[in-house]
Amino acid sequence: MSWRLGTPRVLVVDLDGSAASAVRARTGSMVAYEGEVTFKHAGSGGGGGLRAAFKQRLTGESLPLVEVSGRGSVHFAVDAGNVLLLDLAGQVLKAESESLLCLSEGLRTDVVFSGLQGASSGQGLFTTSVTGHGRVALISMGGPPIALRVAPGTPLVVDPDAYVGALGDVRQSFVTDVSWRNLLGESSGEAFSLRFEGQGTVFIQPEERR
Amino acid sequence: MGVEALDPATLPEHDNLPGNAYAYCVRLTGPLFVQTGRMIAYYPAGGGTIRFEPLTATSLGSMVAERFSSPLYSRDWVVANGQGHVILGDRGYDINSYDLDDGNLTVRASNLLAFDAGLELKESIIPGFLTLLGTGKFLASSSGPVIFVEPPVRVDPEALVGWADCPAPAQHFDAGWMGHFLGAARGALFGTRSGEERQYDFTGAGTVLLQSSERVLEDPHVLQRLEGEVRQLGTGQLQRLGSVVQQEIAQRQQG
Repeated sequence: MSWRLGTPRVLVVDLDGSAASAVRARTGSMVAYEGEVTFKHAGSGGGGGLRAAFKQRLTGESLPLVEVSGRGSVHFAVDAGNVLLLDLAGQVLKAESESLLCLSEGLRTDVVFSGLQGASSGQGLFTTSVTGHGRVALISMGGPPIALRVAPGTPLVVDPDAYVGALGDVRQSFVTDVSWRNLLGESSGEAFSLRFEGQGTVFIQPEERR
Repeated sequence: MGVEALDPATLPEHDNLPGNAYAYCVRLTGPLFVQTGRMIAYYPAGGGTIRFEPLTATSLGSMVAERFSSPLYSRDWVVANGQGHVILGDRGYDINSYDLDDGNLTVRASNLLAFDAGLELKESIIPGFLTLLGTGKFLASSSGPVIFVEPPVRVDPEALVGWADCPAPAQHFDAGWMGHFLGAARGALFGTRSGEERQYDFTGAGTVLLQSSERVLEDPHVLQRLEGEVRQLGTGQLQRLGSVVQQEIAQRQQG
């Protein structure tokens, strides 16, 4: 399995024809390829099975993925966003579905419910969890991704519109204090922020989703 | 692999994040004015909290009234107070920190992210711009790196980020366009602008800050300010303005 960054904004995956080198990528993210490569719709649920498909329909945390396999090189990119590569060795990655670019074969995805608060945008309410052993590529809009460590005694508060994902044993809670509400632009309907505690890493992007 | 994880021990005290021109970290020790929607994350220090209070309901009322002299923009700003690290971002624009030493600098309101309480904020005569006076630090964003030029210079209004020390600009109209305009019946040319004939003309000693391009945000305050000025007009003038607005809308719908 060979993944590399062509530029900081382009992910290149080399497929060697084996089933293990196949990937699932965000629909529409393939920008170029060479070789004998087949693209197959991963089915509703993004290959996560019927149960995931049902939850996605219910929650709006949709994950349109395409299965990419064969022999050759495939280039992936989304709106000139910066690509973040992560290796998973059994940890749990939680990510916004719109930030997922590519997953290696063997990783499982599911929709997890992370709280019942202010359903204005759904950001951070339902997230996609990725588990197993393999590689994941996330997309950060507006500039390089920012990784922030969370440890006991150093909690972190994040704007849900800038939140990309979290890796490790982090607990997420919602902050809805009045002081936060004042921080938000009038156009944004968000009235809560995400507070992370525990031990792990939280990824954010410089640009806020609109 | 990926990116280096940062935490309060490794975050910069007052600088762009490592390798990231699009995000900036401020070590909060005193009150900081922050534009709403620009804060993307924060670490409160030592088990405390960072308060983000609206200007209308802050415990620092008299300081705010003294420092923030712009009723028009007051709802878009908060005062951050407490101890910790605050990370700011703005539409993926480049973010730079500026130091003013008993100086003055005027900046596009949407590009101003934060300023400390050593500075005083006032509304510029040019709509959509804010002026900072005094001694202190502020953060401003630009689409692409900032380009510094010295007057005399004429600039495209959309490329203008701000200016320091020199007098406020005058509006300049391209001579060819003016000749055409004067030659035709007055007003008949309304709407025949290419978008390039109107420029800002800077003279005197100082520095002009430019950006490579601007995704123009509709600034609600420009409208608010125009609405405020409408009251000075007579009935006839208002009717005239009404027809001009109608023409402009019709023009845009065609285009």
